[in-house]
Amino acid sequence: MGIMGLALPWETKIPSVAQQERRVEPFREQIAASERGAEANRTEDAALADGCRSGDLHAYERLYSLHGARMKNLARNILGSSTDAEDAVQETFLKVQRSVASFRGQSSFVTWTFRILVNTCYDARRSRLRKREVSAEEEQQHEDAAPRPEPRAAVTHPSLRLALERAVAKLTRHQRDVFLLYEVEGFRHAEISEMLEITETASKNTLFQAKKTLRQMLEPPRARDAAGAR
Amino acid sequence: MMNVTCKDRDRILEDGSAAEWAALEGHAATCAVCGEELRSWKSLSAAASELRDYSDNPALWQRIRHSLAEEAGRGKRRWDLHRLFSSFTVSWQTAAASAFVLLLLVSAAWLTRPRRDTTQSPLLKSRALTDVERAESAYVQAIDKLAIEAKPQLQNPGTPLTASYREKLQLLDSAIDDLRSQTGQNPSNAHLRYQLLAMYQEKQRTLEEILEEKR
Repeated sequence: MGIMGLALPWETKIPSVAQQERRVEPFREQIAASERGAEANRTEDAALADGCRSGDLHAYERLYSLHGARMKNLARNILGSSTDAEDAVQETFLKVQRSVASFRGQSSFVTWTFRILVNTCYDARRSRLRKREVSAEEEQQHEDAAPRPEPRAAVTHPSLRLALERAVAKLTRHQRDVFLLYEVEGFRHAEISEMLEITETASKNTLFQAKKTLRQMLEPPRARDAAGAR
Repeated sequence: MMNVTCKDRDRILEDGSAAEWAALEGHAATCAVCGEELRSWKSLSAAASELRDYSDNPALWQRIRHSLAEEAGRGKRRWDLHRLFSSFTVSWQTAAASAFVLLLLVSAAWLTRPRRDTTQSPLLKSRALTDVERAESAYVQAIDKLAIEAKPQLQNPGTPLTASYREKLQLLDSAIDDLRSQTGQNPSNAHLRYQLLAMYQEKQRTLEEILEEKR
């Protein structure tokens, strides 16, 4: 098959991959709807911010019902554990409650919340490392020493998810954040740039680098060699 | 349709417009390398959905809600304490500021209080100066009357003592003239006024002694 090894195992899992369009928007319908109702979204966002600022628990519940699942999923992908992810989401809500008074609307309330979540996740990672008495260098060494996904393992690997998780875990922090936020959670580059406090161009470039790195990690050597020969 | 080549592929994958993507798709249909690259690229995006697990844990929201309510309670207590502390601080600040202003006022009043003993002040105030000048004028007139009475004796001194008194009076008049000229330039100088008064008193005593001698 002329397709790179990366695509081989996935085609069986994702039959529609061959028909995928240039960008797989995880929430394409939602995004399209949100574009149509951008004004409604802004109103909703402002209402959420006002409600949370006034201490209304219903506003927090609304925030959770709209974004809690994505928050937990993002946290799980960064932390690698559902339990830690739930703790991070809880901590994020508490941080939002403590600092919502200082929110001035410089970004949307939701992206501001996700920025807090991302920072909370990395705080948790650092804290976890300290608890394990592992220094940052040791973590890097640990990551370097972690078994690289076998290129052919992807074909025979029982879980594509596991392979991808391992590969994503080896990305740089920025690459991982942008990849997860864009490809998994379906945020736009404009939103990601607000969350990570980078430019949209940097967000696009980081995503490109992340995907190139992931391909290099996941594709079989023969396909890689063939690509290199070309 | 826009014309793209293999060289444009990475740039379009990174930040291509919809039209550029459409052109790349068209090019990929005829280019095996770009076709594979594009398909692999899309596959990675599709595979990302494998990392999506939105299964809900109903207990999580209850946990969050409970901690939010707890934190809100703690926050309210902190706020009450903060307000109490703030008002306490403001009260103390007001009291301290008031005490300081009071201290300043007392100090200013102490420094600018009217002095009863004018001898301690080298300068005479305008009202006191008027009084002094009026008294001095009356005193000078009285002494001049004594001088008129003693004038015949002084013009024809019969004894060496009277001649000596005349010389003394000439010296006193000279000193009085000097002092009057100085007080004319600096009328508020109490020290000069005292010296002038001493001269007048001495002149008065001398004239009295001359008149006593006559009797």
